[in-house]
Amino acid sequence: MPYRILIVEDSPLVTDAFRVLFTEAGYEVDAAATVAEAIERGTAAPVDIMLLDLSLPDGNGLEILEALRARGSLPRSTLAMTGHADAKSRRSCIEAGCAEVLLKPVPIGELLRQIERQLA
Amino acid sequence: MSMSDRLEPASSKRRQKTLESQAQEAQRTIDELRSRDALKTQFLSNVSHDLRTPLAAIITHAEILRDGMLGELNPKQRDSVGGIVSGGQQLLDMIDEILTYVRSASDQVSLVRTDFSITEVVDQVRMLNQALAAKKHLTIERLNGDDLPPVYADRDKVKHVLGNLIGNAIKFTPDGGRVWISFSRRGREGEELVVEVADNGRGIARDNFELVFREFAQVDASPSRPHHGTGLGLAIARNFVELHSGKIWVESELGKGSRFFFTLPLNAPHD
Repeated sequence: MPYRILIVEDSPLVTDAFRVLFTEAGYEVDAAATVAEAIERGTAAPVDIMLLDLSLPDGNGLEILEALRARGSLPRSTLAMTGHADAKSRRSCIEAGCAEVLLKPVPIGELLRQIERQLA
Repeated sequence: MSMSDRLEPASSKRRQKTLESQAQEAQRTIDELRSRDALKTQFLSNVSHDLRTPLAAIITHAEILRDGMLGELNPKQRDSVGGIVSGGQQLLDMIDEILTYVRSASDQVSLVRTDFSITEVVDQVRMLNQALAAKKHLTIERLNGDDLPPVYADRDKVKHVLGNLIGNAIKFTPDGGRVWISFSRRGREGEELVVEVADNGRGIARDNFELVFREFAQVDASPSRPHHGTGLGLAIARNFVELHSGKIWVESELGKGSRFFFTLPLNAPHD
């Protein structure tokens, strides 16, 4: 069974690029563009890695972690992605349960390495 | 009573009224300019954000191709796609600089102060710039500072200021030149740290000492100028230093290099 990655990202352009990347790397890929959709996809089937964009049209990405935790459906590991990783937002991501905070756009080599590390 | 005595109060009142209405007019103009400036800043911020997302997608797709994930490329194809990645990266850096400037100039920006070793940050920035300096056969040295107490400041922002000053020094110093960083203390009890980033590059004319810190200003603004950029780097550095209640300035002479200085509060010794 391939590992399942949930991409939470509101830009279809970025989601498409990730979909190509992760499919080629051998992962099963699912995607959500809003907080509501991510909660729905995250509870539908267990998620190994959630790639989480923080600013979504209907709220903050960290709300998804809270909701999934309440439903007992936390992904095995969550990597937050932000365009602006200052010390404060980094801290709030880690406190919310993210394993890492990555600065967008993450070079694909680094992104794949990070994911492998989380799955190891 | 003479004629002029009788006329005086009326004309003085008139003058007073004219002055008041001129002052009101000036205030209206200032308010108008301020609100247009705020609008422009907001626009800059929105456009930069919106540019960033598709650019991120372009870079990721190009990296997927370059790394052969969709099939091996021949060396020429790989070079060409590599050009898309590095061009995209350069564009992204410029957009990020605009966003950093907008943030640094906005009222909402806040400092996250901690105690940290300034020499450690300087050494980190030197390491990050080593490859760039090596390309031009430049040396980047730190002359002193091993015995300094910690500074109490926003580490990320200080790192940004140093990155900008050291990056500029490399950019404007010809091959084989020298860049160095040194520290001194001032204030009654040496409570203020002065950081100096100096080079033996082409230098800056006295007339431009103020201009270089102004947003969008470049000493050579011609389209054929050898060094391109947003012209925001030093404006961001100035904003970040001033947020710490510090000062930033330059001393230089054309052809004899530049010395940029900024001040930071040193941490009071803990009990």
